[in-house]
Amino acid sequence: MRRRAIAIAALLALAALAIVAAASATTNRAAAPSAQAATAASLVKCGKTRSIGLMAPFTGPAASIGINQVHWAQYFQRTYNATHKTKIKFVNEDTMLGSANGTAEAVKGAQALGSNPSVLGVVGPAGSNEVKATTGALKGAGLGFVSGSATNTQITTDGTRTGYFFRTVPPDSSQSKSVSGYITGKLKVTKVYIVDDQEAYSIGLADEVEAQLKAKGVTVGRDGVSQQQSDFSAIINKIPRDTELVYLPWQLPPKGQAFGQQMKSLGRGSVKLMGSDGLFDPLFSGLGSNVYDSFFPLNPSDKRVKAFKKLHGGASELFGAPSYVATQVVSGAIDRACANGTASRAEVRAQLKKTKISKKASLLGLPVSFDKNGDMVKKPFGVYHSVNGVFVRVG
Amino acid sequence: MNWSLFFGELVSGLTLGSIYALIALGYTMVYGILKLLNFAHGDVYMVGAFIGFFVLQWLGGPLTTAVTGWLAIAIMFVVAMLGCGALGVGIEIFAYRPLRNAPRIAPLISALGVSIFLQNSALLLWGPQFRSYDTFDLIGVKSYHIGRNFFISNIQIFTIAASFGLMAVLTWLVARTRTGKAMRATSFDREAAEMMGIRVDRVISFTFFVGSALAAAGGVMFGIVFGQIFSLMGFTAGLKGFTAAVVGGIGSIPGAMLGGFLIGLTEAFATGYLPGGSTYANLYVFALLIAMFLVRPSGLLGSPVIQKV
Repeated sequence: MRRRAIAIAALLALAALAIVAAASATTNRAAAPSAQAATAASLVKCGKTRSIGLMAPFTGPAASIGINQVHWAQYFQRTYNATHKTKIKFVNEDTMLGSANGTAEAVKGAQALGSNPSVLGVVGPAGSNEVKATTGALKGAGLGFVSGSATNTQITTDGTRTGYFFRTVPPDSSQSKSVSGYITGKLKVTKVYIVDDQEAYSIGLADEVEAQLKAKGVTVGRDGVSQQQSDFSAIINKIPRDTELVYLPWQLPPKGQAFGQQMKSLGRGSVKLMGSDGLFDPLFSGLGSNVYDSFFPLNPSDKRVKAFKKLHGGASELFGAPSYVATQVVSGAIDRACANGTASRAEVRAQLKKTKISKKASLLGLPVSFDKNGDMVKKPFGVYHSVNGVFVRVG
Repeated sequence: MNWSLFFGELVSGLTLGSIYALIALGYTMVYGILKLLNFAHGDVYMVGAFIGFFVLQWLGGPLTTAVTGWLAIAIMFVVAMLGCGALGVGIEIFAYRPLRNAPRIAPLISALGVSIFLQNSALLLWGPQFRSYDTFDLIGVKSYHIGRNFFISNIQIFTIAASFGLMAVLTWLVARTRTGKAMRATSFDREAAEMMGIRVDRVISFTFFVGSALAAAGGVMFGIVFGQIFSLMGFTAGLKGFTAAVVGGIGSIPGAMLGGFLIGLTEAFATGYLPGGSTYANLYVFALLIAMFLVRPSGLLGSPVIQKV
């Protein structure tokens, strides 16, 4: 009797919870569009200080590259604020890319930026998986967002974020062509093993390179590791002994370094390693002359690169340079939208589409303008070889 | 049969298992005495790894060490073990001792709190960046080929040998010394041990000291073998150490050692032979834990608990 009463009470409680949840979801959905519409179309008075959301992995496993992006964005802010009457202020959101929480922190950050009426545009997020996860929140709030590192090809071609998302870095489709072309044409390798890190960026790029290599008659093995993993010895043991090159489309340079070191300790030091733009870092190039990488054709002799290096104790951190350009794009769009003293997020987005930065003004070594998908019109990728611990362009 | 792959995964599994075994020993010792799952133990392991890293920097870094590479490693071990031993005692005094007579859930929550505190303190103090031990520059890593199919590196040999050495010392301490006898007595019946004149508080603090020191040794070994340490590395390692302790039989020291090696070998062979191996290695490890609960809840070497009703 007592058990039955408890069971009935439990069922009633569950039913009540379900009703409340459904009602609040309905309420939220009903409220959200009008709240979002109000924010997207709301005119903000463009004062002396313009707020830009900055989404990057300040902490977490990807912080070593996230901090690069933050430093470059802040470098643009510093030079802009020194030369303009108006000032840029960042509203920072830590996405903790690569952490055990997945993209939850990025989504929270996007929601916070969306509900901050002073934020007119966003730089970031860094990872392709984060772009996918935050699209709902940023798009819902009417915010345009420009990433300096999310390269997964589909995020601009699937139509989900057209007009909202732009990137100042070439997509994986450009990178994969450069990589597969170099592997077969210059290195003349016939046996390749690809290890992805199970994230959207890595899997997408690995899939493209694998398909292109197989089409050219290369024997390709494939495996994956988690970004949280540190012990790669078990997977290194799996790599066939006659493998000539291992391709690592990863995001975390310390992991790339650890993989290379463990390859050496297991007697596989002579195998070539090829990284992607996520591994374009001294940690990876320092592994030795068997290391290659792909990256966009940044000019290391650019005076801004030299000034940045001086400011950061000699470290160039080139991986973050597209974030400088992303900030340049967003601030330029806000300036143009604010020409009449007020601007809405919709107006800033419209100006993002009209971005035109000359080759001279752009840090990337190429002019910056966007096609209808949000990709740069010109998007080449170079191949680099490690010479004395430094990447030198060879393709 | 690909013998090269088999032996490679065997060595990888034993290397990783050695580290898990050292973490598991701390869990099992504390549980044996206090019936407490010290969830902060994984983060003590992380702190040990960082102490080892900073000692290496203090000695001049891997390229310009003030002493020879192996001596530097020995110093890193000693300092990390002593430092984390003291940390373990501190945690016991401040976070667990006041709750010794509280319901069992209270010290468990306190343990979770300590874990979060240590993780975030590490993030605040040392930042989120990976730190590299640069073992290659420190001691020069060599790999040895035995026959056509067997490869092992000097670091792997060192890790397995050092772990066995530490486990042997612990076994001798618990089985052959007066302190060990006191530990066993306290674990068997704390009240009776107190009545027999054993200073239970001291024994418990000593247990935490030894357990934390072993975790620190595991942390330094991790840095040496795998090269990278970071502030959040304690969480997963702690979970795996706990799994190893449970699989081997929580409260049993030989069980913790066996459990650690079993978990390490499961991960390595799953990566090498099973579909989606590396991606789902953790899945196979925790599936082993669930299977153990279903088949033998007391663990491989644990004894079923008999309760008088």
